Amino acid sequence: MTLEPKLSSLLRSPPKFRGWMPLAFMALLVFGLGAYAAVSKDAFLTQYNINNLLLITMPLALASIGQTNALLVGGFDVSVAALMTMCVVTASFTMPVGSAWYVLVLGALALVGVGLATGVLNATLIRVIGLPSIIATLGTLSILQGVSLVLRDHPEGAISSEFANAMTKSVGFMPIAFIGVVVLAVVWDVWLYRSRGGLSMRAVGLDETSARRLGTNAGRVVFLAFVVCSLMAVVAGFFSAALIQTGSPFMGGYALQSIVAAVLGGASLAGGRGSFVGALLAALFLSLILNVLPLLRQPTEYGQIAIGALTLLALVVYQGPELWARLRAAWETVRLSRSAAARVSPG
Amino acid sequence: MSTTPGPASPVVLSLRGVSKRFGAVQAVREVSVDCRSGEIHALVGENGSGKSTLLGIASGFLAPDEGSVEIGGRPLATASVADAIRLGVGMAYQTYSQVLEMSVAENLYLATPPGGRPAYRDMEAWAARKLEEFRLHIPAAALAGSLSLAERQLLEAVKALLAEPRVLLLDEPTTALGPEGIEQLHALVFERSRAGVGVMYVSHRLPEVLGIADRITVLRDGVSQGTFEAAGMSEDALVTLMIGRPLQQAFPDRDSDRGPSEVLLEVSGLRGDRFGPIDLQVYKGEILGIAGAEGNGQGQFLRALTGAEHSTGTARCNGEKLDVGSPLGALRAGVVLLSGDRARESLFPVLSVRANTTIQVLRRFGRIGLLNRGRERAAVLDLVRRLKIRAASIEQPVLSLSGGNQQKVSLTRPFLLGAVQAILADEPTQGIDVGSRFDIYDALRAKARDGVAVVVKSSDPLELAGLCDRVVVISRGRIVDEIPGAELSERRITQAIVGSRQIRRAAAVPAPERQA
Repeated sequence: MTLEPKLSSLLRSPPKFRGWMPLAFMALLVFGLGAYAAVSKDAFLTQYNINNLLLITMPLALASIGQTNALLVGGFDVSVAALMTMCVVTASFTMPVGSAWYVLVLGALALVGVGLATGVLNATLIRVIGLPSIIATLGTLSILQGVSLVLRDHPEGAISSEFANAMTKSVGFMPIAFIGVVVLAVVWDVWLYRSRGGLSMRAVGLDETSARRLGTNAGRVVFLAFVVCSLMAVVAGFFSAALIQTGSPFMGGYALQSIVAAVLGGASLAGGRGSFVGALLAALFLSLILNVLPLLRQPTEYGQIAIGALTLLALVVYQGPELWARLRAAWETVRLSRSAAARVSPG
Repeated sequence: MSTTPGPASPVVLSLRGVSKRFGAVQAVREVSVDCRSGEIHALVGENGSGKSTLLGIASGFLAPDEGSVEIGGRPLATASVADAIRLGVGMAYQTYSQVLEMSVAENLYLATPPGGRPAYRDMEAWAARKLEEFRLHIPAAALAGSLSLAERQLLEAVKALLAEPRVLLLDEPTTALGPEGIEQLHALVFERSRAGVGVMYVSHRLPEVLGIADRITVLRDGVSQGTFEAAGMSEDALVTLMIGRPLQQAFPDRDSDRGPSEVLLEVSGLRGDRFGPIDLQVYKGEILGIAGAEGNGQGQFLRALTGAEHSTGTARCNGEKLDVGSPLGALRAGVVLLSGDRARESLFPVLSVRANTTIQVLRRFGRIGLLNRGRERAAVLDLVRRLKIRAASIEQPVLSLSGGNQQKVSLTRPFLLGAVQAILADEPTQGIDVGSRFDIYDALRAKARDGVAVVVKSSDPLELAGLCDRVVVISRGRIVDEIPGAELSERRITQAIVGSRQIRRAAAVPAPERQA
């Protein structure tokens, strides 16, 4: 045939390892830090501590998995933190101590309703009205935070301990819910990289115009991604409620942490790349740092610094193949222009 | 109008009274076109005549404002690419539809509707088989972004054919192809049309169109000029239908007494991603036009000259070697680009007229690091008057001005920069009202009179014929024709763009060597 391959097949084959690198890097950090803590402190590798570590990972892990959806379609959802707070506050009304099981189910459904409404509002603002996702979700973040404060201006209202016990039920050191989230992340990654639906989602994130021309319903993909992100924040909110067991309107910076975890797990801010397993591993790693520091008698402030530094390091490592390719291209340009100059003016 | 009754083959695509408007521009107005099973129906017209818009509507990518689309006798109720594919439309886009970060196999897989595609894990083998079937020798695992433009263009056609459509829409499918590639594509098109597929073929290359089409529909400014049997048509007759726009535009006088002048800008062997090698000389005081069909590398050539795009080869300005490695090098040498993408590349839309005008030369109005507002205002007001910029005040954000006045604001910069040698204007009047156009032509001519070399790239032959002293025509990244001032006319330029002349020349030029 007419067209010979222009580049060598070596250059053409996509860098497959790129997608695996964040996972490998995060797994390495988790096991490395875990091993170090286990060797230096006996208190680390105890059933109680590991169980506790996995439980406090749950809210961040679920929020990051949700956030990965938004990042995959090229957006952000900073409203997840406020939605989690809203869930905790709502749960203190709808799922109070001593509730019967059917009250708990209805209470949980109320939370899902709040999440669905938030997700649909976010998605509508972004997709139908066309607002940038960061602005739209900042708006809903502020609204949800305000409503939470109206409902509870200080931590108050005990949450059903039956509910909390069910959520944190463990076999040995392993919380059953954690097994659930691992399975969820694995299945979701398989879907993302081994199915047509996942292919469409990544295509929309990488290049929306081309994806639409190929027949993908980009509007629906983005809409669903934001709704799913909110629903995952609700599930994260369930775990926060189970862990705090009080209607507290003050909860930590899950908005940025969930984005950091998703990015550490391999999500690209430009869209189209990401891994649910990676987000889970990164969430585990972030919780691990905060868990280990007190054991090693280090102030937790160092944790903030370490998280920031490691985030930057990870991003540089993930950029590795591209940096290398760019360096090579730059060198190639220099070489070409040199030989061109040599041709024009010999000597 | 001579829509002759064709063979009794069924109509596979029917557009009825379709209109589409983009902002102030009516891209397509009440166009009705049919495509029958087994026919190759060409759509021709100048740049911006609405060909791509029409195909976009037929493929479900664009929603028409009015009118209806029927595919295989069934209506396309809402604009949806997936629905259109299901009803039997395959489209190859001029600007392609490939996700560059994904592999060839993944792109082909996405383009195939349910039913036609295999299990996900068999994707690569399936894609390799399909590529083999269409005799396209590229590895299925390669990233789409690693392909050459020619390979991507053929892949786009293969993608369109994957779902075995009843209607095949091809939008300028040969712009990146050499003679062999064109032959390969045409063989594919003929084979499909013999099998009963209806083909809508958009091209600006009339010899190509006359060679393969059964019927031809001509568009001019978004309005259909009729559908004709190709057998009875000549290039000349088609050109007459394509142009013939009423001349409403005035142009500034040329300087007829301009004697022979020295070369100011000299380009030799410049080549970039989508053009080259190009050799060109521009004289002092001259306005040189660059013509060509959209997407043939003209824009990239201009941008490369100012360092905005990567290129190799040499360019000299006033005898000095021009550093085309970065925009700063060109700017220092006095070569100014007026970008075609005003909003993104040339203006700061939220800043005022004043700030946009003086941003490159602020130093001149300053003293010990502080601006002298009075001097700055005086200079800006003078230019606003000279270029007839209509703004309520010079503090008005550029964003709130009309397109024409925005362009005039970007034109103020070469007037303020002291040592401007050359102005390269990329579509200087695109999207600009007739009134403002003359002011812009006048400003460019005024700079030329000052001894500046002006290069105008335009997709409007009428504009080039009226404004320029000389026009070169670029096709597939190379200069294929040069039209001296005495011969300039809209018809002459249009003929050069669409005409057989360039095919003959292209054939005479040895096939572009592969860059290993």
